[in-house]
Amino acid sequence: MSMVDYFSFLPYGKYAFYVWLAYGVSALTIITLFLNARRNHALTLQSLAHKYSRNK
Amino acid sequence: MWKWIQKQASPKFFYQTCNRLIPWFFWPFIALFMVGLYWSLVISPADYQQGDGYRIIFIHVPSAILSMMVYAIMAIAGGIGLIWQIKMAEVVAKVSAPIGAGFTVIALATGAIWGKPMWGAWWVWDARLTSELILLFLYLAYMSLNSAFDNPRTAAKSSSILAIVGLINLPIIHYSVKWWNTLHQGYSVGTGGIKDSDMQIALALMFLASILLYALLVSIKARTEVLVREQNSRWVKEEVGRLMV
Repeated sequence: MSMVDYFSFLPYGKYAFYVWLAYGVSALTIITLFLNARRNHALTLQSLAHKYSRNK
Repeated sequence: MWKWIQKQASPKFFYQTCNRLIPWFFWPFIALFMVGLYWSLVISPADYQQGDGYRIIFIHVPSAILSMMVYAIMAIAGGIGLIWQIKMAEVVAKVSAPIGAGFTVIALATGAIWGKPMWGAWWVWDARLTSELILLFLYLAYMSLNSAFDNPRTAAKSSSILAIVGLINLPIIHYSVKWWNTLHQGYSVGTGGIKDSDMQIALALMFLASILLYALLVSIKARTEVLVREQNSRWVKEEVGRLMV
């Protein structure tokens, strides 16, 4: 049984595997970009706070 | 308005503007993205030739357009940084690169996934696909060059030159389906593009959501970059002290 047949119970039948895979890959990329940007900001704030407290 | 734009050359004002704009980009993005998804996956009818497989168009086309648009913004901002020595333009160029690379990855991946059921192959060395892959390599080269220097000004100068030279690839990507006999279909937007009004609305909504996503990510990344570059300024010390309380 191929992946295409396996996922054919989802909406869009024989195209379900491709459509949901495309939307899934895109969602994953967008979420990674967003979380990475927020994480970098938090890490930068932490490292700068650490640096300033060391220099005091 | 012009005064406000001029003020953005100051790192402090630019940082404050980014901070203020984040919620204005975030919530409209969420709203447009949700409505766009509903229009793309539920309201839009199936295509008469490609059935439901064509629904990949609603993420593939906006991300492909954004991949080129972000590159153009990156090169123009880099050029402004080179000519007028505006540091905030360098910041915009630098933070745009990973976002543009992300859109290019989405465009290439969704294109490959769409290609398999329609062409019978994940990848073909077609002019449109190859030039889009070159765009990804240009983004990667820009990011590598930018991180190769310790001094951010030197890094910005060299990487901006690369970005400007790479602009030549954009018309090649756009006109590749016209100039060469490609397996890739013609333009999806404009003359010869999609005709159904629901499909057009879905594509427009997803395109606007992508623009807002780019603006949102630039705002988040730019404020981080400004903090790093201006870490010896008094206002950054005060800002960090205020935020870390």
